[in-house]
Amino acid sequence: MKNKKIITLITLLLLCISSTYSSVVEKQKGHNAPNENRINFHLKDIPVKQVFTLIEHQANKNFIYISNESFLTNKISIDANNQTLEEVLNILKSKIPLDFKITENGILVKKISAIKNRRAQEKRTIRGAVIDENDLPILGANIFAPETNIGVVTDINGEFSITIPTTVKKLMITYLGYKSKEIALDENSTISLKLEQNASELDEVVITGQGAGVSKKRLSNHVETISAKDIENISSQRIDQLLSTKLPNAQINLTGGQAGSTSIIRARGINSAFLSSTPIFYIDGVRMDNLNTTSALGGGSSTGAAMSSIADIPMDNIDRIEYINGGAATTLYGSDAANGVIQIFTKKGSSNGTQITVSTSAGVVTPTTDFLYFDRTKDLLFKTGSYQKYNLSISGGNNDGFGYSFSGNYLNNTGVQIHDNNANEKIDLSTGFRAKIGKKINYKSSFIFVNNSYKRNRNGNQGGYTGLWFTESGASSNKGFNNRLDDLTSNEFEEIRAFVNKAEDLQDNQINVNRFITSQSFIYHPFSGFEAKFTGGIDSRIQNDQVIQTNEYLSHTSQRTVKAEGSINNVQRKYFGITLELNLQHKFNTGSYSFISTLGGQLFRNEDHQIQFNGSNIRDGAKTISGAAIKTSDEYLSEVLNYGLYVQENIGYKDRLFLDLGIRGDRNPSFGDNIGTQYYPKAGLSWVVSSEPWFSSSPIVNSLRLRSNYGLAGNLPPSFVNERTIDFDGFQGEQAAYFGQPGNPDLKPEKTTTYEFGLDASLWNDRVQFSVGYYNARTKDALFYVPPTPSSGFSKSQLYNVGEIENKGWEINTMFIPLKTENASLALNISVNTLDNLVVDAGGIAPFNINGFSARTIQTVVEEGYPIGYIRGNLGVFDANGVLESTTPQSYLGTTIPDLFGNMGINFNYKNLSIFANANYQTEAYANSFDQQFRFLYKASDDIVPEAEVIENGTSNWLNFTNLFTEKTDFLKVRTIGLNYNFIPKNNNSLKSMSLGFSVNNPFNFTSSSFDPEATISGSATGQGGASTGGISYATYSAPRQFITSLKFNF
Amino acid sequence: MKISFVYIALIVFTLTSCVDNPNVTEEVYLDTYNPDSSWTNGLKRQLALTMNQVVINSEMISDNYFNNYTLYSKVFDTPQIVFSDLDVNRTQVEIGALREMAEYGIEKVLPNNPEAKDSDWSYTYFSKAYALILAGENFVGLPDDNNAEAISSKDLLLKSLDFLDLAIEKESDTNILLVYKLLKARVYRSLGDSEFAKQFANDIIGHTDLLYNVTFDGTNGVMNEMQNATFTANENRFAPLPRLDFLDPKYYNEGTAISDQKPLAIVKAEEAYLILAEVYASENKIGDVKTILTNLINDVIVNRPVVLIDDSRELRNGSNREDYPTEAVDIRFDHDNPFESGYVLDRQADKILVYTVSGTKVTTMDINNITNQDEALYLIYRMRQEIFISEGRRSNDLGIKLPVSETEQLNNSNISDEFTKAVIPDFIPLNLGLDDFSVENDSGNISITNDMNKILVTNKTSSLILPFN
Repeated sequence: MKNKKIITLITLLLLCISSTYSSVVEKQKGHNAPNENRINFHLKDIPVKQVFTLIEHQANKNFIYISNESFLTNKISIDANNQTLEEVLNILKSKIPLDFKITENGILVKKISAIKNRRAQEKRTIRGAVIDENDLPILGANIFAPETNIGVVTDINGEFSITIPTTVKKLMITYLGYKSKEIALDENSTISLKLEQNASELDEVVITGQGAGVSKKRLSNHVETISAKDIENISSQRIDQLLSTKLPNAQINLTGGQAGSTSIIRARGINSAFLSSTPIFYIDGVRMDNLNTTSALGGGSSTGAAMSSIADIPMDNIDRIEYINGGAATTLYGSDAANGVIQIFTKKGSSNGTQITVSTSAGVVTPTTDFLYFDRTKDLLFKTGSYQKYNLSISGGNNDGFGYSFSGNYLNNTGVQIHDNNANEKIDLSTGFRAKIGKKINYKSSFIFVNNSYKRNRNGNQGGYTGLWFTESGASSNKGFNNRLDDLTSNEFEEIRAFVNKAEDLQDNQINVNRFITSQSFIYHPFSGFEAKFTGGIDSRIQNDQVIQTNEYLSHTSQRTVKAEGSINNVQRKYFGITLELNLQHKFNTGSYSFISTLGGQLFRNEDHQIQFNGSNIRDGAKTISGAAIKTSDEYLSEVLNYGLYVQENIGYKDRLFLDLGIRGDRNPSFGDNIGTQYYPKAGLSWVVSSEPWFSSSPIVNSLRLRSNYGLAGNLPPSFVNERTIDFDGFQGEQAAYFGQPGNPDLKPEKTTTYEFGLDASLWNDRVQFSVGYYNARTKDALFYVPPTPSSGFSKSQLYNVGEIENKGWEINTMFIPLKTENASLALNISVNTLDNLVVDAGGIAPFNINGFSARTIQTVVEEGYPIGYIRGNLGVFDANGVLESTTPQSYLGTTIPDLFGNMGINFNYKNLSIFANANYQTEAYANSFDQQFRFLYKASDDIVPEAEVIENGTSNWLNFTNLFTEKTDFLKVRTIGLNYNFIPKNNNSLKSMSLGFSVNNPFNFTSSSFDPEATISGSATGQGGASTGGISYATYSAPRQFITSLKFNF
Repeated sequence: MKISFVYIALIVFTLTSCVDNPNVTEEVYLDTYNPDSSWTNGLKRQLALTMNQVVINSEMISDNYFNNYTLYSKVFDTPQIVFSDLDVNRTQVEIGALREMAEYGIEKVLPNNPEAKDSDWSYTYFSKAYALILAGENFVGLPDDNNAEAISSKDLLLKSLDFLDLAIEKESDTNILLVYKLLKARVYRSLGDSEFAKQFANDIIGHTDLLYNVTFDGTNGVMNEMQNATFTANENRFAPLPRLDFLDPKYYNEGTAISDQKPLAIVKAEEAYLILAEVYASENKIGDVKTILTNLINDVIVNRPVVLIDDSRELRNGSNREDYPTEAVDIRFDHDNPFESGYVLDRQADKILVYTVSGTKVTTMDINNITNQDEALYLIYRMRQEIFISEGRRSNDLGIKLPVSETEQLNNSNISDEFTKAVIPDFIPLNLGLDDFSVENDSGNISITNDMNKILVTNKTSSLILPFN
């Protein structure tokens, strides 16, 4: 109830501020000081005579007219926003039948005839097409007449049609990533335009982290933007796969080859020891489920290969992606954004007419066998699978602000595991709308529905039979097989093949996701320069995870007769999130100064409801638990509510020096009783040095900008963990109570304070783009799960704000264009990021495990003085003969966080043909091969351990020299190689264009480790709700290779 | 438009701005009707969880069982026990939970509920006493209160007596009263107080079927972990020392494991007989030792239920040693003894006999052959080992005690360094010697490397073991 009152008050306050603010602004503008060049006002229903007086006052020139003219009493509404006298008079002309002439003595006012006036009201239609440097049509370019605010966007053929008053003399053309162009209009009603790529991108407008649109040059931080065009070429199945090659300063590792498994996304290191480093995701302003809540009931086939909710996002209706990587950039997201924000904007239609696109992709998927120890594992577990995807997109719109887009997809991937144990089928539908509701309000909406079904293989540390553990780890010896697979006779091999084939065939693990996302926004423009935007939306995601173990499966894999142990385990996770945001932005220019003021409030409320229902002693063939002899169930509910207000001021001086200031205040019931509002301030400077008058423009340096900022962002504690609770369970048919959570009245979000500075430059006629930055991000009050003091009687860990974590490093990104001719271009890009991660202070608590097994085997640990998630295990020292001399338990064996990582890419275009490739790399991280350790234990391998030790002690010391199995995980992985050819038929009445593509995903891996350095988060459902740095390679599948051809038709 | 916009925003904001904790907070719980019964039942559940932790680790640390399972300790078999060890901490956490829950019951739950039954009071006092007993028997010392100073194992045991007396005061069930008395005898034995040990043990003699179990509940996830380790789990988690093979498993299930969880004895009449025998042995009353041990076999053990089960899937195919016997081979207790048969079972040949409460290969003839104190002590400790197998008592008999955990010391400034080192008597063989054996190439017969009962008797004057000597 208390919360309700606070929210109501805040809302009222916010709305009051918004209305009073706008009226204050109006008044201020009406009484602005005179300025010799610029005029500002916002007038409504004012007599013309009074308008003249105001203009005279501001322009310092008098009107010359006959004082009793009747038009002087006519009332008009007119806005002027830092405009010249000439511009204001032009606007005035469109409102009343007058003409003006500026003379030295004053402004001559002349009545014009009705005919002439009609002419001013006459309209003309301009048609044209916009193409890029390769003569390919640009879809979605904005064409608008700045004087009238009339605008349209180009369709799929780059064509547009705009109807404007005949008085309009120029058109502006803008498109993300391209230089804006201004066209002076003449008598021609058809124009053709070629846009050049904008290397500096400083004028590009971004929204994420700002509330409303602000050009990049005004920001003191870096905002990465990915356009629809960038997305089109890459045949990624998932958005994180796409981002892994497109975000120069973030590292996205594909942690497993199972369909839908999670990825580790980290930008500026690991700033939290309790939360996954996955950024928060927004679609059209609505916060999405990114599975950053605990998998409280565990179980299911996601165990050992955590799910990714990012894998659900449809790829075919994305207009733009913006990414900010923490620090000052994310301050306006407050308590929830220390890991950065990725915002996806969906398409909302094109201009006139209807465009239809039909595309299909098909190909084969093959297993990545590079890391298999035994050659024959491939024959036991894998096959070549097929991939197919079909897409239908329809979009359209008109010149009155209406637009729509629809995209439907069907994807079927059989996967590379025998019996289709890793198949994925996905259907998604998405729509986008925009419409003008009246003169001042625009409406935008998007709807997305996804149905995603996965088959899952038993994976990692799931116990019992798992395919990779059985084959690669040598565990087949437990079932009486010779585990040295490559040494088997053909008869022996056929025996084990029969065993594995049946074991795989009898597995039945299924995950099904149904998801619905919608965003609704209203944008209100009461007057020029002011915008109020309300966004509301929901994300509803239901994941059903089912594992069926039949008696036949158990009998086969345990080699004993099992009659009454068949079971079905179901875990359902229902996520429902609501996001509401109100944002007010006012842009105001005066003299050399420009101001962008932003005020907003945001609320999000997430509900994570998990239900487990299991049946055991169930007859083979049953698919539901209704026939089980024993049924059990459990439930978990978590609700997060966070609400905050933010205010921001961006001040520009002469369009080259910008000061960015802002603060957000957050409240949340998850904070302890002793904790009030949490504040997140930011301050930054952006200086476009190349715009300084003294900066002589040269072909060597085209643009140069320096930026620096300071800002805070937070990570929220999970809901309700601040409260002391009693837990209950059934025991012997009655209720049993016991201590639950110890509680912490001082619980608050952890806050990451980031200082950064950087330089962005464009050199040699934009042939070289260079960006370099340094950041230092320190998480104070870091939330650590403090293990319970045994004497306290509590057995659950409790979150306390006791830690301090530091991440610092350089972020360098460059792009070279060594070749640029009329027909051909070649572009190369490379990013280099250094990372230094350290737990500065652990608050005196014992080292704790985040992503490993038990202390006696191997763990990834958080400990003061070490990087987060370093590998800790037993360190063995051998004598001269190679016999184990001593072992030191719980020793440092290596960090799991690389100190250098980045992307590289090449893009070659020749006429309509483009060829591209990209890769990721990292160095100086380590991981343990638990597979190798098991191979030693099960005597499946003679590698690594000295022979003398084996003779002396057999395999009994297998866990006492874990250091032998820990390897450096440097890698260079080529993610995609592909080509695209665009064909535009001469007669394009029906078929407007066609494109043909071929790409290979994950073609080459160059690694220093004997195992896949990315497939290292086995152990549990980590990556979901918990910090995870990888580090243990154990029975985890590698991402498969895909060879895909695609064909796209535009009608 | 503006106004409706404001109202819509207001309504939506308000409707979405409230969350309530779905869990029961402490305040709410104490306010509910009759919390005492759920708290007492919670203590029973906690006792089961505590025993799981104590039993698994004690069996592993001792010469009873060898661990093959990755998720159990890989160093307790050595035995290697350090204060930073996860299992040291876990054991302490579970004992601490039992003690603090009992304390919370005594301080908050029961006093706030005038309708609380005497039996609830009695069980709560017993829980506190038993937590202190487990602490005293298994640890060098532990805090006896939240964040308190650690007190010695002896002081913990002395404190437990106070709470046993309080439990007795509130208890009316005569059978339960006997249980508490036997526990007092056990504590006095541990303290080396032969007079009181004898007095309370004597109260039990004649009550030959006295048995007090900890119960489990598979449906609610509280499984008997020893049953899992020795019978249910597909892998061979625990392998017994071959001379104890005939006693494995003590717990088993028919049908699904979750619906058939066997109880674990924490108090049984056998102990009174063994305590008395040990007192008599220390007094050199060999005749009395013989009598009481013979009675133990004839009056108590033979009446304990035994069943035949199919254990043919037990292949002892553990990953650390492949030479565990799976056929009925002979064994000898150490290299100085002759080979004997009947100790190792052929589980594939036929159903096997399971001693659900107590079993031993010691015969009345062996007892009759006792001629001196050492022989008496040897048989008493062998019988203690066999009778209490899978009940978590053996590591205490070997004099091994766990240290206070690192987590306790880091979070609790009252822990001095003296309590952070484990006690492992110097006669305990290290480097896996407790569980070691060798196999003869031809016959497959087995020689146990160390007969720990013999070693105990040899070192009987050590203050760490054999409390009456």
